[in-house]
Amino acid sequence: MKKLESRTVVIIGGGLTAGLVSRQLTAQGIDVLVLERGGDHTKGAEAKLPTQRDELRWDTHQGLAQDYGVQTYTLRYTSKESALPVRWMEAFLPGEGLGGAANHWNGHTWRWSEYDPQLRTHHEQRYGKKAIPADMPLQDWGVTYKEMEPYHHLFEKLFGIAGKAGNINGQIQPGGNPFEAPRRDDFPLKPLEITEAGIVFKGAAEKLGYKPFPTPAANASAPYTNPDGQKLGQCQYCGHCERFICEAQAKASPEVLLYPMLKQRKGFEARLNCHVLGINYDSKAKRVTGVHYVDLLTGTEYEQPAEVVMLGAFTMTNSKLLLTSRIGKPYDAASNTGVVGKNFCYQINSGVTLFMKDRWFNPFFATGSTQMYMDEYNNDNFDHSGLGFFGGGGINCSMFKGRPIGSRNVPPGTPNWGTAWKKANADWYVHSMAMGIQGSCYPHRENYLSLDPTYTDAYGQPLIRMTFDWRDNEQKMARFVAGKLSEVAHAAGADIVGPAAPRAAPFDIRQYQSTHITGGTPMGTDPRTSVVSPHLQHWDAHNLFVVGASVYPHNSGYNPTGPLSALALRLGDDMVKYVQHPQML
Amino acid sequence: MDDLGDTNKNRRGFLKQVAAVSGSMPFAAGAAAAGLAAANSAAAQTAAGAPASPATAAPPAAPPAPKVNDVFGYNSLSPDEAAFVETMVNVMCPADAYTPNGVDCGLAIFIDRQLAGSFGKGARRYMRGPWGTGIPQQGYQLPLTPEQWFKAGVAAAGQACQAKYGKSFDNLTPADADAFLHDLAGGKVKDSELDMASWFNELVYPLFTQACFADPIYGGNYGKVFWKMIGYPGLPATNTINMVQYRGKPFPGAKDPKSIADFS
Repeated sequence: MKKLESRTVVIIGGGLTAGLVSRQLTAQGIDVLVLERGGDHTKGAEAKLPTQRDELRWDTHQGLAQDYGVQTYTLRYTSKESALPVRWMEAFLPGEGLGGAANHWNGHTWRWSEYDPQLRTHHEQRYGKKAIPADMPLQDWGVTYKEMEPYHHLFEKLFGIAGKAGNINGQIQPGGNPFEAPRRDDFPLKPLEITEAGIVFKGAAEKLGYKPFPTPAANASAPYTNPDGQKLGQCQYCGHCERFICEAQAKASPEVLLYPMLKQRKGFEARLNCHVLGINYDSKAKRVTGVHYVDLLTGTEYEQPAEVVMLGAFTMTNSKLLLTSRIGKPYDAASNTGVVGKNFCYQINSGVTLFMKDRWFNPFFATGSTQMYMDEYNNDNFDHSGLGFFGGGGINCSMFKGRPIGSRNVPPGTPNWGTAWKKANADWYVHSMAMGIQGSCYPHRENYLSLDPTYTDAYGQPLIRMTFDWRDNEQKMARFVAGKLSEVAHAAGADIVGPAAPRAAPFDIRQYQSTHITGGTPMGTDPRTSVVSPHLQHWDAHNLFVVGASVYPHNSGYNPTGPLSALALRLGDDMVKYVQHPQML
Repeated sequence: MDDLGDTNKNRRGFLKQVAAVSGSMPFAAGAAAAGLAAANSAAAQTAAGAPASPATAAPPAAPPAPKVNDVFGYNSLSPDEAAFVETMVNVMCPADAYTPNGVDCGLAIFIDRQLAGSFGKGARRYMRGPWGTGIPQQGYQLPLTPEQWFKAGVAAAGQACQAKYGKSFDNLTPADADAFLHDLAGGKVKDSELDMASWFNELVYPLFTQACFADPIYGGNYGKVFWKMIGYPGLPATNTINMVQYRGKPFPGAKDPKSIADFS
């Protein structure tokens, strides 16, 4: 193996977090090398018209997602079973290439609830110390929303987030989210245009006394120049956001706003087509010494020494590299000891379809984040006394695409083919809409990641194994919130309302649900229950940092991008301090 | 092709039957719908013709450019498999006021090309053993590529059809063929080895809907006929103004959808 010259900071994975951390580090003149397994998408067919608008290629066949022939995951539902490989993943979509999954994201950009980082303390204070079930390892993050707020503020300015404030310094703002964590000012851009479906949802929700509001969006409602001088175009409402790259550069993404700038900075290097095989760990010194990777263009393996390593790969890969590199104690569900792979969570999402023959919903006029939301039944925004579950979901109306292979609603009872099927499609395609729930998922002792003992990837390394299912808590919550969703749907005055079916076990990898998988390397204040410290520093190697949704100890009823971006910007500042004075932060 | 003469004759007979049956079915009234098929054919001819762009215009002496989209043939399907697929798409998509029959919409060509291409060959799928069985929610677990699975299922469905009706699938009446497909989807057709409901619902049916609604560059949705049917405008570069101007109103662009070929 060829040994290369040492670098100050080496980052594994060239996605969103790597771009944000590199921004902070290179601004202080610190040398950064990013290793990315994929290539550069910016000049490819995926980023240019007309090929960008190809539903079959980029959506149905997931042209931007990870190659499952090279690397996938295995799934079992309990610790007692053998797992099977996911041979083709539909449930969630890991990205590949510079920009990572933030190339093909939809753009929803939340600050989570103010209490989310203190979720255990919050529940204990509200419901008593004994209220949290023994098999639900809720834990505080060791950082407060107040500490994260400046970084949320910075991220929203950098990414030109479009939205309506609901809570400015404690003052509730009409038209915004009354449950929003307090923010210092309004969003940099005004909200996106509301869809016709959004108007229907807003009317129904308000009729029931709720306070719907537009989802904060990274899809620019107007041309925008960020504080770094980087520019976003105006959103074209073309309905090709999630699973696609925005050819108009109107969807805030690292390949638009971060990497072009970083490439101009001294000391920054992004090395593409480099698949990291492991982190080199000196267990006696409790330090990492670098990483090793294979250059896919030559097949050569390299050792890349580093003073500091940051792990910023996709959720699953963060756990995998720690496990294969034997850094930290693997989580063991039977004894409830160890940490790596712990608190693996997802999101439990449900939906309902509405048909209104006199309304023209024109689903093709959309952007990834043209969504109205209501937070009354999200997380702990309502009293859970006596309900028998914790958590909740945001009830929403997301009209984000009209792409015809995947977005045609037909009334219940419609045959699957034939003239009656065509008639139903012709009658309802533009006259139907959907409402949904994005539900939280709290950790369960039996939901975790570990290395599969049987299946390997193209590099001969074990696949990550998910032991995961919808446990009782999430299923009860889904049923409760689906009841509320049904009430909103029925208040809309539709001609036909489909069933508001709550999602239930078993977890089904054949259906897309969201790419919001979290956990595996949870953060916290106690090394016995967390992989990284509140500063995202590995407890067993203080020159190794981990960031991404993998550090969330639980998943909320919001998209994960906002807090992980705030954490990444904060980590960038922390790493500057660390490079200057290497010690436990 | 002499060795296929009988099959082809039977298939043509079948197509006539489908047309006759579907022609008698009640449809939504409307001149636009009734004239749709004819308009589509005309549009398709225009789209398939020589590009009008000056940059690619042929020199004056050159012969007319070939209609490349009209060069159809099967890359993957055998004659028997093609008979099954053509019959199936004509049952699932009969000629009616909405569209021409499935074969004429390019649905069989689409399925054939998908099977012959990277999808059919199992590209980007995890294809390593060992091979186990789980619950359906864990997803497909066979060592067959989608193309191999498709063909194994066609053979098994053909046998089941022969056993039940004493005829090959492409010789059934349209009503029997439709009933047989519903039996497949509903798990009533059994095979000693293959799960036929899974085969039909998770492999065949998605290919059918993709054939209808994917961009016409893949061979199906000929003349954008399904996009016109539902009112999908295709892929305009920008809707920033339309988003506001046509919010809650019929969008005129939906009558003349644009596909990738229109911008290529």
